[in-house]
Amino acid sequence: MEEKVLIKFRNIIKEFDGTIVLKGINLDIYENEFVTLLGPSGCGKTTLLRILGGFLEADEGAVIFDNEDIKELPPYKRELNTVFQKYALFPHMNVYDNIAFGLKIKKMSKDVIDQKVLRMLKLIGLEGFENKNVTTLSGGQQQRIAIARALVNEPKVLLLDEPLGALDLKLRKEMQYELKRIQQEVGITFIYVTHDQEEALTMSDKIVIMKSGEIQQVGTPQEIYNEPVNKYVANFIGESNVISGTMIEDYKVKFDDQIFDCVDFGFKPNEKVDIVIRPEDIDIVPLEQGKITGEVLSVLFKGVWNEAMVETVPGTTVKVNMNVIKNHDVESEYSDERISANDFYVDIEEVASLDDNDIIARADAQAWKESDDSYTSISKIEHNLEEKLGEYTVTFQTASGLTVSRKIIVVDQKFVKNEKANEAVSAFNFFKTVDEIKESVALDTDLKTWANAIGWKLSNEDEAVDIYVDYDFDPENIQEGIYQVTFSTEGRELKVHTTDYVEEGQEVGLTFEVEDIHVMEKMGF
Amino acid sequence: MKKFSQLALPYIIWSIIILFLPVLLIAFYAITDSGNAIVNFNFTLQNFVKFFTDPDFLLILWRSLSIALKTTIICILLGYPTAYFISRCKDRTRNILILLITLPMWINMLVRTYAWIGLLSDGGILQSLLNLLGFKSTQLLYTEGAVLLGMVYNFIPFMILQINTSLSKMDKSLLEASSDLGANRFQTFWKVTFPLSIPGVISGIALVFLPAVSSFFIPKLLGGGQYFLIGNVIENQFITVGEWNFGSAISVIMAIVMMVIMYLVRYVEKRNSGNRREKKV
Repeated sequence: MEEKVLIKFRNIIKEFDGTIVLKGINLDIYENEFVTLLGPSGCGKTTLLRILGGFLEADEGAVIFDNEDIKELPPYKRELNTVFQKYALFPHMNVYDNIAFGLKIKKMSKDVIDQKVLRMLKLIGLEGFENKNVTTLSGGQQQRIAIARALVNEPKVLLLDEPLGALDLKLRKEMQYELKRIQQEVGITFIYVTHDQEEALTMSDKIVIMKSGEIQQVGTPQEIYNEPVNKYVANFIGESNVISGTMIEDYKVKFDDQIFDCVDFGFKPNEKVDIVIRPEDIDIVPLEQGKITGEVLSVLFKGVWNEAMVETVPGTTVKVNMNVIKNHDVESEYSDERISANDFYVDIEEVASLDDNDIIARADAQAWKESDDSYTSISKIEHNLEEKLGEYTVTFQTASGLTVSRKIIVVDQKFVKNEKANEAVSAFNFFKTVDEIKESVALDTDLKTWANAIGWKLSNEDEAVDIYVDYDFDPENIQEGIYQVTFSTEGRELKVHTTDYVEEGQEVGLTFEVEDIHVMEKMGF
Repeated sequence: MKKFSQLALPYIIWSIIILFLPVLLIAFYAITDSGNAIVNFNFTLQNFVKFFTDPDFLLILWRSLSIALKTTIICILLGYPTAYFISRCKDRTRNILILLITLPMWINMLVRTYAWIGLLSDGGILQSLLNLLGFKSTQLLYTEGAVLLGMVYNFIPFMILQINTSLSKMDKSLLEASSDLGANRFQTFWKVTFPLSIPGVISGIALVFLPAVSSFFIPKLLGGGQYFLIGNVIENQFITVGEWNFGSAISVIMAIVMMVIMYLVRYVEKRNSGNRREKKV
């Protein structure tokens, strides 16, 4: 196929009310291509299309169409036509007049118009519909007419703005094939905007993946699927396991404390990278034959295959004690004011940076009026905290002089390190009253806050790791006493698509080919 | 469900009484002669004969229809561009403009019409202004022009609001589609915007033409005794002459004339758009 650039976007920048929606787009579109702009809503794909259509003007940059800058041209002078999201058929015209609209504007003769319209109706498979009222047609039929109305003008480019969005699933699939067929038959460039990755993979010659006003990757569906440039693209197209790791040297990548051969090269030694392995590229084998091993956590039947989640690296776990105590609000003798606070633990390294606000938060100190439930502020905090292990007293006081004293216990907090999973978790024992637990609306989150539970990557202390909470008490009916709360990370779970039979709880080996490991640059922020 | 709809029954009965009874009464008066006792009526068509055989009445009917037609045409010509302009404004501006248009309607129509007498009268502001500009002293008040002005002034907001509504709710992507298909602004207006706003124009016509035909105090105040319309004739028959039967007959005639006219307007509109939509094979 002769490759000729038809449209060039050069450094297109567009801003709406102070938000930059296109951050310098550069893109070439060739003749006879089916190009898809793919991205989530708000990524700027429709804006780019509307700039090409002439309905919006770019703040900066040039749109070159057939070697001509068309920035100044109004829509009606551009050699392209658009199929709108909701078709935008003229309700006061029948099918024939809708399709003939552009031709009548060009003042073509009646015979020619007749011929062309009938040919279009044939192309879209709606012969005999010319006198029908467009408002009485089904969504799919309206869609076809919108396409015919645009194509009859013989544009060099057809723009399609999520044209299948309003159709139901089955019709959408049919129209996908239909659109591809029409494109191949008329042989012009189609620029197609969608957020549906499957649509993009099915129809496109070229996919442009966009995110927040920037192009992430341009390539054929195969390239994008097999060689995603980063984590975002890998996750957006198809299902994938994205693992962070390190490129030791060319053809050697390390993740989860293991070194694997791969086909990627050209990275800096020890560069941090993301690795993608597609679920269908992983095979389940007997334990001793696996490159890695793990426990099957869950199996979902997906029709042709089973989707198994295999935990290859166990998570990191910290158990802490939760001291549940009786309500111990202090009541004022003179008014209905109350004050409450809890004892708490703090790490010795944290003591220096602990200010009054932190202490109020950690002790969960509160003062309020019983009569109308209004909060009053804590005006004074006194403590004798030192950077030494031991117990200290803190006193909270309100403006009216009501006070409560609690303990701060300074400890040398140990954290649990997990070299294999490259992470660590820490959490503190804590004190809570029965009421506070019963009244919590999001207990998991509260437990994490109360225990100050955090997880981080050993390789980078600023990178947080998600933590999950587990406990076996009933928060509705909790009594005083000491309870164990477990904070743990997920570990490494790999999604595997397999046709083999596996059972939950089974220990399995996993293997994959060298070329199934695809190494990507870490995404910049 | 059936039980629930029965709750509407009292309302329906009440509507029938207050809506149809007066109309029926007028119709009844129109076909009887005066001096009826309660128990025996003399049915007659004499009232209708009287109207249609008197050239004066026919002339007044013609004059009423023609001035209402002129009013309507002027309202469309002035109102359409105004409504078009308003519909193209941003939401905020649009709301303010609509408020400004409806603002005079908060004041009693009669009072506003009296205000025009002051403006148009001999030695009034407008005449002085014209004199200043070198025009000869001309009679402004008590002319057909004054009546026309009063009618347009009073009824144009209805036209503007109706057209603006149909223009504002029009799907903007239709205009983009038209532009995309090669139509410039002018072509887009005549091929898309205008045809789609016709329903608004039609309801505007109904809201302007009907009250204009039967209006009686505007010609009375701004036309003086010089400019007698059918509304004034009816008023006279009821209030001055005391011929309720004849007055009712004229009202019935007017009602039928207006019904026919509105039917014709809708018929023409329907046939036009129907032609465009569905040619029967």
